[in-house]
Order: sequence, then C-alpha cells, then structure tokens
Amino acid sequence: MAGVQTTAEKWTNRTAIAAVFVALIIMLTPIYWIAATAFKPRNLATTIPPTVVYEPTVAPFVKLFTKRSQLREQPTQEEYDTAPWWEKMVYDGGEKVVRNRKSGEVRSSGYGDRFKNSLIVSVISTILAVGMGTLTAYGFSRFKVAGEDDWLFFILSTRMLPPVVVAIPMFLMYRVVGLNDTHMGLIILYTAFNLSFAVWIMKGFIDEIPREYEEAALVDGYTRIQAFFKVVLPEALTGMAATAVFCFITAWNEYAFALIMTNRNAQTAPPYIPSQVGSGLPDWTVIAAGTFLFLIPVAIFTFLLRNHLLRGMSFGAIRK
Amino acid sequence: MAQIDMRNVQKFFGANQVLKDLDLTIEDGEFVVMLGQSGGGKTTALRAIAGLETVTSGQILIDGVEMQHKKAADRDIAFVFQSFSLYPHMTVRENISFPLRAVRMGAADREKAVTEVAEVLQITEHLDSKPSALSGGDMQRVAIGRALVRRPKALLMDEPLGVLDAKLREQMRAEIKRLHIARGSTSVYVTHDQVEAMSLADRIVILHDGVLQQVGAPEEVYLHPTNAFVAKFVGSPVMNIHEAQFSGVNGHSSVHIGGAETGFHFPEQLINHVRNTGQAVSLGVRPEAVLLSHEQREGYFLAQTSNIEPLGSHDIVDVLVGETVLRARTESGYVAREGQQVFVNIDPAQAHFFDGASGLNLRGAN
Repeated sequence: MAGVQTTAEKWTNRTAIAAVFVALIIMLTPIYWIAATAFKPRNLATTIPPTVVYEPTVAPFVKLFTKRSQLREQPTQEEYDTAPWWEKMVYDGGEKVVRNRKSGEVRSSGYGDRFKNSLIVSVISTILAVGMGTLTAYGFSRFKVAGEDDWLFFILSTRMLPPVVVAIPMFLMYRVVGLNDTHMGLIILYTAFNLSFAVWIMKGFIDEIPREYEEAALVDGYTRIQAFFKVVLPEALTGMAATAVFCFITAWNEYAFALIMTNRNAQTAPPYIPSQVGSGLPDWTVIAAGTFLFLIPVAIFTFLLRNHLLRGMSFGAIRK
Repeated sequence: MAQIDMRNVQKFFGANQVLKDLDLTIEDGEFVVMLGQSGGGKTTALRAIAGLETVTSGQILIDGVEMQHKKAADRDIAFVFQSFSLYPHMTVRENISFPLRAVRMGAADREKAVTEVAEVLQITEHLDSKPSALSGGDMQRVAIGRALVRRPKALLMDEPLGVLDAKLREQMRAEIKRLHIARGSTSVYVTHDQVEAMSLADRIVILHDGVLQQVGAPEEVYLHPTNAFVAKFVGSPVMNIHEAQFSGVNGHSSVHIGGAETGFHFPEQLINHVRNTGQAVSLGVRPEAVLLSHEQREGYFLAQTSNIEPLGSHDIVDVLVGETVLRARTESGYVAREGQQVFVNIDPAQAHFFDGASGLNLRGAN
C-alpha cells in the first residue's frame, strides 16, 4: 500500500512486524530444536543448559534405520577396525548392529517401512478425499438437492466429536471385516475423516466460480461432464490444492487411529517414532532424527503448492 | 442462420410465473431486441431459447424443429453473457477456439476460423494473452468472437454491453450492428436500455411481468405504443402521462390535466371515442409534442416553467400545468431561466389516450 504514512502508522507497521517476528520465533523454535537434536551426539542431547555449539553427527540417523541391541561385551579391536564407518558410530554409542545370523546382513529398523506406509496412506486418502469432496461440493453447489442444508450439516457433524471416541467400535468392526493393520483400513478411515472438511471447503471455492462458465461451455456444445472437467476443474485447482494440503497434513500427522488400528504391516510413522522411547534409556537423538525426516514430506508438499495457496480466487475475467 | 419460433411458452419458478403465454417468431437474419425492466422475463426467454432454462410448457422451434427438450449443446446456438464469461485459464485463442474443439474440428481449420474471427473483431494482437489482461471492450469482442466462430444458427446476447462504460458501450453498439449487417446472423439481444434497443433492432419485443406487450419496428413502437407501459418505457425523456378530463362540446373540446382550468384544444374526431367511455382516461404526450412559445398563439395558454435541464443539443423544460408537470423538449436556451412564464400547447396529432385501468392505448384505429 503506497501513499502517505503518518508517524503513527509507521509505528503501527513496525509493531506489527515485531509481533510477526515474535510469533515466528515461538513457532520455529520447536522445529529448530528437533533439527538440532537430530544431529547431536547422544551425550549432548539432554545437557542442561542446552548445547548450542557442537560437531554435528549423522549417528542418530544411522541408529534410526538399523536394528540395534545393547553391547554385552566390547567388540575386539579387529572387529572395530574392520567395521564400516556407520557401524563404528553404533559401537561408539555402546550398542551393536543386529545382523542376520545366516547371511550376516544388517537388519533394518522398522522406520523405513513405517515411513513408506505413511506416504501410501496419506497420499491415497488425500487424493480420494479431495476428489470425492470436489464432486460432492460441485453437486451441492450447482444442483437443487432436497434438504441441502441438512445434508451439509450432517456432513459437518461427523467432525463434531473427537475421532478417538469412535476408535474402539471402529477397531472392533475392523477386526471383524479384517481391515485392521491394513493400508486399506487406514485409507478408508482418513478419507472418511477428511471428506467432510473437503466438501465444505470445496463448496466454498466452487460457489465462487460463476455458473456462466459452465453455461457458456454448455451452449458451445459440451456436455455437463465435459464442462466440469474443462472449465470448472481448472478454476477449482487453487481450492483443491489448498484442501489437499490440509487433508495431507491431517492424514500424515494422525496418531490415535494409527496407534490403535495398526501394529506392523500398515503402521505409520507417528505411532512408531515414540515407541522407540520404550527400549532402554530413551535415545532422544534417534527420536529427533525420525521426527525431522517425518517433517520433510509435508514441508515439500506445502512448498510445491504454495503458489496455489497464495494465489486466491480473484483471477477470473468475469465482471460482476 | 435460422428462424426461431416460440409458441405458448410458459415458465414457472416455483409458484412464480415468469413467462406467460409467450408467442414470438424471429425471422431468419433478423435482429430482435427484447426490452424490459429487470425481472420482466426477457433473460429467461433468452435462456429458454438457448436451452439453459427448461420451459414449463409450450414449444420452441428452430428452423421448424422442436427444440424445447434438446440440450443446449444440441441446439447450435451461441450465447454472449453480460459477464463475458471468458475462461480465465485459457488464452484468447483457446477461448475462441473452445466451441470448435467441442465439435472436434481439425487444428488447421480451427486456426483459420479463429484468425478470421479475430480479424473481423480486431483482436488479432491479443490472441495469445489471457483474458484478464484485456480491457472491457476487448473482453466483449473476444466473447462475441467465441460466439461467432462456429457460425451458429443464431446469436443470443444477454445485456452484452451492460458492464461497459457509456462511451465504450456506444462504440460496441455500432460494432455489433456492423457485424450483424456483415454476417446477417439471426440475433436476439436482451437489454433494459431503450436507446440500445432503438438503435440496434429490426424489431423490438417489449416484455413486462412475463407478458409480451408489443412487437414492432423501433419507430412503430415509439410512435404507436400499444399501452402506457410501452409508452413510458420507450423514449427518453419519458412520455408525459396524466389523467385527463374533458370539457366543451361541438368543436370546442378541451382536454384538461392536473386539474387546470384551461385545457388543450382537441379536434372532436380525435377524442370522440375516448371521452364518453365513462372510465378514467390518461393523456400521453411525448416531450417533443409539448409546444412552447413566447407569444400568445391560438390554443396556447400561459404557464410557469420550473426546472430546466440543458442537454447541449436541446433542453428539457418542466412546465407547471395545474398541479402537474409537463416535460417539454425545446431548442437549447429557449427558456432562459427557471420560473419564466411561457405559452404552452400540445400537438393533438401526437397525443395518446390510455385507458386508466388497463393502460391500453385507446387511439387504436389510428
């Protein structure tokens, strides 16, 4: 906003900027803390006062991906010298890498699989929720639906109770139909959970798209389906991107259902990471490393869609 | 190009009837303007022709084929929206070629058709821009180009100039007329602006409350309005319409308005059919038929002016007659200042009488 600024306005601006900085510091400190801890040697992770300057190490990440056990006896000098660099890191931490007895292959921890499960479940459930949500929202926005308001309220009401409330009945039902500890089970749950949100948000976006766009396409010789895909969908992309980011974050971070409904095959990263606290003394550096990696996909996804998030809807060539 | 026929078309929105028994034939190559107030049903009628609105009953025929149950896509009609409705995610070129891609025309033919239309509309330089980069007039040119590119049977326009500013509107009006003359396309144009209607139309269709009031050439509608609504709606400034009383007998008949003691002299044969109906009758006279004079003349009487609107080419002068105001059109500066006394008369040949209750023009026979 250009123009004349009074002194008072200048100070208002400066105060606002200062407030933003404070908010940023408050919000970014935990992320810094996780990132810093993920690269710390174990003995520096819990010092008081916190260690700020240290030599970064990737040992937490090595430990994160390998299966380890407590060292009963020190390795021989020869064992230590012939070990690769990452195995030395584990020895230095007072542990040893677990190997397959026959083949001698290093056994990996469950983190990689859990991470993959998280990706599968989150991506598929996000696509389903946004896709179905957009179609439903289009229907509500463009057609006369008997009892439209009631339906929309009903859809929203599924969000009104905390999901954990239904966790036990869901678990029992899932066990009967064989959906517990499956990807499909979690995908259905997360899709259902995000769908109401997607319908509401997308209805707002689609209501903003003038009907004339479709009507123009209809008289120009297109069917309604074609008009939807060629005209409405490109206009709704911004909204779909925003909805997708929120759905993805919700599914990615979901903890309670993942903890209850899965244990091995389909377990996602959120319940896995804290489970590492339980074995022996908690190794906070490993937990921080797991959390740090876990942050990256969401950050990338949000970063890729940032233009859509910021662009807004007032881009059209329609005059009102 | 095509002939469009509407037969007994009715349209309800719930209990609200927006089209009442609409009968209308639009001839091949004709430019018809639907004129009326907002909510008068003109846009609904247009959308019904296009297939964007279903009709409750009645038939819509295009070239003799019943169309009321066909989809918009199957009617081969183009529509220009007031909002232009250009797709923001497509370039101008893609916008114009959009209807051609619906019929799977080859890329080369498409390009040729787009270039041709763009040249006619003088938007060639904008073909690769996005619509948001265009001015209002150019956006409307693109919208018209998109409508014309596949040579539809008819071109329907819903207040296409409604959102443009006055100067651009005048320019685009001339362009639409030129385009119509060049292409000869059957066109139906909806507007509430009677100047647009007068200047564009071969025939004007006036709709009010879903009822067709009058269909006719612009000058016919202007000179012979069938009722008070049409008389008031067409023409600017608005026709003076006031309740009339009659006095005198045998060659010295007068028509009084506003309770004034002196009336305007009328030849007996012009008022014979209206004075003895026993019902309330209104006198309608356009501002140009209100005659002012600085000298006393036969049939003129003295009245006071109240308000003068100088419009450059002419003035609109309010004259107090009894308790009402007659608006007169004079050459500019004819009445120097407000409050000045002038002699006033009206031209009986240009006067209309309307039934007080039904609003129908009682002159009929003329």
